[in-house]
Amino acid sequence: MSVTRQTSTDGNMPLPASTSSVIFGRQDYVSVLLRLIGVELYKIRRRVMSKVLGSIAIAISVLIFVVISLGTIYVLNAPPESFAPPCQGSSIPGSRPQGSPPQEGPSSNCPQLSAAQLAQLRQDALLGVSAPLRLPLSLNIIVQFVLSAGTILIIILIGATAGGEYSIGTVRLLFTRGPTRTQFLLSKLGATIICIAIGILTMSIVGILTGQALNLLSGIAQSFGFLSAAWVAHTMLYLLITMLDWFMYAAIAIFFGILGRSTVAGIVGAMTWLFVEPILGGVLRLAGSFSNGPFVDFLKSIPDYFIGNNIGALLQNQGQYIFGGSGSTLSNLHALIVLAVYLIAFIGLAWRFNERRDVTN
Amino acid sequence: MVQKVIVDSSQSDVIISTSRLTKAFGKLVAVNDLHIQVMRGDVFGFLGPNGSGKTTTIRMLLGLIRPTAGRAVIFGMDTEQQLSAILPRIGAIVETPVFYPYLSGADNLRVIGTASGMASGKTNQHRIDEVLELVELHLQAKMAYRKYSLGMKQRLGIAAALLTDPELVLLDEPTNGLDPAGMFEIRQLIHRLSALGKTIFLSSHLLNEVQQVCNRVAILQRGNLIKQGNVGELLRGREQILVKLNVPEETQQAKAILQEAKERGADWISAVNLQVNRQGQPILRVDAPKSYSAEINALLARHNLYAAELHPYEGSLEEVFLQLTGTPSIPPGMHLGMAALAGTGATTQQPDSLPDIEIPADRKGGI
Repeated sequence: MSVTRQTSTDGNMPLPASTSSVIFGRQDYVSVLLRLIGVELYKIRRRVMSKVLGSIAIAISVLIFVVISLGTIYVLNAPPESFAPPCQGSSIPGSRPQGSPPQEGPSSNCPQLSAAQLAQLRQDALLGVSAPLRLPLSLNIIVQFVLSAGTILIIILIGATAGGEYSIGTVRLLFTRGPTRTQFLLSKLGATIICIAIGILTMSIVGILTGQALNLLSGIAQSFGFLSAAWVAHTMLYLLITMLDWFMYAAIAIFFGILGRSTVAGIVGAMTWLFVEPILGGVLRLAGSFSNGPFVDFLKSIPDYFIGNNIGALLQNQGQYIFGGSGSTLSNLHALIVLAVYLIAFIGLAWRFNERRDVTN
Repeated sequence: MVQKVIVDSSQSDVIISTSRLTKAFGKLVAVNDLHIQVMRGDVFGFLGPNGSGKTTTIRMLLGLIRPTAGRAVIFGMDTEQQLSAILPRIGAIVETPVFYPYLSGADNLRVIGTASGMASGKTNQHRIDEVLELVELHLQAKMAYRKYSLGMKQRLGIAAALLTDPELVLLDEPTNGLDPAGMFEIRQLIHRLSALGKTIFLSSHLLNEVQQVCNRVAILQRGNLIKQGNVGELLRGREQILVKLNVPEETQQAKAILQEAKERGADWISAVNLQVNRQGQPILRVDAPKSYSAEINALLARHNLYAAELHPYEGSLEEVFLQLTGTPSIPPGMHLGMAALAGTGATTQQPDSLPDIEIPADRKGGI
């Protein structure tokens, strides 16, 4: 960090030498922007709300796998005969409780299963019920929660960060300190990206590690047979798409926060978008299913341009390489173009309002 | 009266210059065709009643709002074009300063300092401690801002304005929320800053405060500039000498003597009037430069009339303001207090040197 004072611009009044102990940093555009991103992150770190949201995110990541592990615990504690098909219920020698009358009826037609067979059935059930605790399925599970609950958390965090400057009134303070308004907006976006990366990686790692730890209960070892360079690459893309999902809604929260000049506007605007989109998509598809024709086809195609559907398409297209299954009907190119248009629109409008607007009370 | 700042002519560069600066919010013209000039080293008072356009002008100078017409030039640079080069050289308080409630005073200054281009981290800790001490907040440096009193918030605002050691300090109602001791401290601070060569732009409706610290003023009314100039020049012609005689019954005779002297060529006497103080005693009010107190005393003594008290009074900015803004003028020599001007109407204040002169009830309102 160099120690500098601003130099005068030609034709302008020269700067007098300062006698105080003020130490300035580098004043080029990128250095100022990086410092502002640091300031944004510092403010986020110091807010109680951020700590609460972070704790909720970690708690969710842990709780999901704790709930899933209940299935494993149940299987481990259930009697072996409970894994037999229904007709085999009492056909195991010695399985009938003492004093109870011998069963009659169809069970007598079922083949009897040995204890080893029942153990195998239990092991199969255990394998199935504990699979979400292990990779790669645990990744899918945690990402689903990142996309649902996590999106709500990031909307609250970023909505409060962007709109809060207006709600509290600190925007007045910031806009009179030197950096341009564009730099302040870019610093918000920069800090948002860092928060998103930290949030998604933390939730994923905590979730996966919790799953692995709880998987020890099942006694089934984690297999890494799926692991390959291609899998890792697709998984990274999968996580990047998850980050893109958060960033889309964070950008909406920033836009509405600036537009409405308040925290509430930022959060409510983005939440509304998050919840209304799937409902609207469902209604449009339902309406389209009742009749045919060009207009109905148009209605049915509208959800293909929704944020959620395009994020879903990108995830599905990567997920087929990680978890199996089929790809989406929407191509990656289509989804990326649609999302890029949304991003440009929201960030562009937020920039426009931020840049041109009078800052009054 | 505190000594006024003397502007060295060799440093008289124009720091702020506005030309036809105008701001309209719909049909409401908040600032109209404003031309002001602030020179280097000035302590410039920007006066006007609430709603006269002071804060709007400051917001335009700081780029918070865009002028509808006209331009503002600061340090020789246009605020529309080169705002990011101008702002780091300015420290400002705009209305009641607001900070992050969840951060302490020191942490808020750290954030503001970094946002202002100062090196981040602990590098500027010394400077932060310095300004906190300057505004006497060093003991509450680690207290959360949300726990600060209004006066402490105001002082933190001043600390933030001074943090980067700016050349120009814009203070919009800096004594809002401060008690009289706090106001006094701010005045002292302004004097210290001025002595360091800073240019101060002080917006206020507290005329007494402005008169005590400013060397130049501009008076605004309903968005229009109605007067701009040196405080001394504005007050010139408003100086008075108040005379209370040993024998009150001789006051009328003294008045006649002074009037006769005026008619005989003592052109330094503008007018001689008789009025009554709170105790019902007659007082002579002579409109004359206060340096002529001795002459008045000698003139009366030659006629065997002896003054018990002579009070030179230089007039007040308040009287100038009330006259210029068309508010019914108060009798010269009478002075409304700061609290009255602030609209409380609860107290009145007179210059230290004035005898007890009654103030009519209908003159106690604020501006």
